[in-house]
Amino acid sequence: MSTPSPSTSPSTSSPSTPTTGSFRGLSDVRLVGRQVWYEQLSFWLNPLGAFFTLGFSVIFLVLLGAIAGNAKIGSGYGSVKLVQYYLPSFTAYAIMAACFTVLAQTLVNRREMGLLKRLRLSPVPTWSLLSAVFLSTMIIALLQVGILLAVGTLGFGDYLPAHGAAFVLTIVVGMFSFTALGIGMSTLVPNADASGPMVSIVFFLLLAFSGLYFPIKPGSTLANISGYFPVRHLITALLASFNLPSGANPWAWHDLLVMAIWGVGGVFVAIRRWRWAPRRG
Amino acid sequence: MPAVSVRHLAKSYGDKQAVRDVSFDVEKGDVFALLGPNGAGKTTTIEILEGFRDRSGGEVETLGVDPADRSTQRWLRSRIGVVLQELAVEPYYSVRQVLSRNAGYYPSPRPVPEVIALIGLEEKADDRVKTLSGGQQRRLDVGLGIIGNPELLFLDEPTTGLDPSGRRDTWDLIRQLTSLGTTVMLTTHYMDEVEALADRVAVLNNAEIVAAGTPTSIGGRDSSEVTIRFLLPEGTTVSDLPVTVDSLEQGLVEIRTGDELRLLHELTGWALEHDHVLTGLSVVRLTLEDVYLHLTRDAAEPSEKAIK
Repeated sequence: MSTPSPSTSPSTSSPSTPTTGSFRGLSDVRLVGRQVWYEQLSFWLNPLGAFFTLGFSVIFLVLLGAIAGNAKIGSGYGSVKLVQYYLPSFTAYAIMAACFTVLAQTLVNRREMGLLKRLRLSPVPTWSLLSAVFLSTMIIALLQVGILLAVGTLGFGDYLPAHGAAFVLTIVVGMFSFTALGIGMSTLVPNADASGPMVSIVFFLLLAFSGLYFPIKPGSTLANISGYFPVRHLITALLASFNLPSGANPWAWHDLLVMAIWGVGGVFVAIRRWRWAPRRG
Repeated sequence: MPAVSVRHLAKSYGDKQAVRDVSFDVEKGDVFALLGPNGAGKTTTIEILEGFRDRSGGEVETLGVDPADRSTQRWLRSRIGVVLQELAVEPYYSVRQVLSRNAGYYPSPRPVPEVIALIGLEEKADDRVKTLSGGQQRRLDVGLGIIGNPELLFLDEPTTGLDPSGRRDTWDLIRQLTSLGTTVMLTTHYMDEVEALADRVAVLNNAEIVAAGTPTSIGGRDSSEVTIRFLLPEGTTVSDLPVTVDSLEQGLVEIRTGDELRLLHELTGWALEHDHVLTGLSVVRLTLEDVYLHLTRDAAEPSEKAIK
């Protein structure tokens, strides 16, 4: 978009005659880093919000893991403990919670508060400020995944992904897809009051029917329906990287492809419907 | 060169005309007010001047450049400050943190402590934004508008929703900024705000400018005309009166005249002679409110339904 100007000394004020392009010593890329820091600051300055954002998936994992005990799952997964299933499924939950739910609500709230409009009217390129929001969201998602893996391993035994590279790729594709969908979703929510209910219902319905709490038998009606949506594919791809069901191909290309297509769809909706100003009245 | 120059500006959304043939100049150093009811086109006009919205027609220059020109937009945005209708402040940062963050967006920002002093939040500098009162948040909001050291500050209804002391504080702050040389363009639907702050005012109604001038001269305020009002005495009609009436609403007679001495003499003479009482008799020079209500009367109904 624009390149950093090489010779702006700190004391020079901006030119009084119109100039094109960039004028700052601080490059736009460094600006992204600075902005990510402020995004993180804002997140951690609200400890209660931070706790619930980060903690929900862990609390669920621990609770459901404790309830399940040594129960085994059926549905063609063989002799596997339910807890082993929950670690990958709640990793999917964590990614979707951070990238989709929290991001969509954040964007709606900021739009309706007028923060996006003010951002638009600042002299720095908008892409740098928005990409900082997305990057910050991904940091939170990765942090959650890290905590889940730590809790899963320390609390329930050695349940790390069987195929690390496939796990990482799935996380990356999942974060892209659900970040894009979160942005797209934010453009469909008309106002801040509707954002909580609208986003949550999509989130919990999709998760429940995609096999968050219980394995879904491949080929069943539920599996076929939820197979149209991206959540099911994030869960099965993560399960595959944990070698679930046993012998599954860790490189779940089909799942990754479906997620990517949804992600592109999210980008498309976001570009078509994006708005900076609050919807008033 | 004026700070803002607008010629025959037009903007339509679909078949709805939000702004029609609007022209005015904002001189450097002035406080210019766009006054008008909700839905008159104030925000649309100001958004076009900021470069936030594209226009449908006409010529616009903000600080000498076309705000819609993408090649100079970044330069322009470093020279203007914007305060929106919404209180756009994030709740969890401290006052100092949020000002420092936004200072980093500008090539030559005002020093953060200077802005904190200007907006009078020294004692709140390290408090969370969410603990500030409405008036304090608005002042911080203005602080964010001036952190880039703008030549030109846009204020979109800066005191809507504030209590009286919050409004006074905001006015004082705006006066301080203009004394430092900042040009201010504001929208408002408060007459007292215009009287308190503006050097020049344009009244926008139904997408058009219906009057423009200084607050003291607009709409013929500086002419010697006065308004005489009284209740029509019982048992009489307007045609019984010895004078010409300008309007009659629910028994309230209104007469505008430049020759009040003679007219009052005739009127009171008539009343004494026929033993009538002129209840509520008053003689007032036009207030800005009179002018405004007169100018915007036609559109009072549709503006209720118009989109905000």
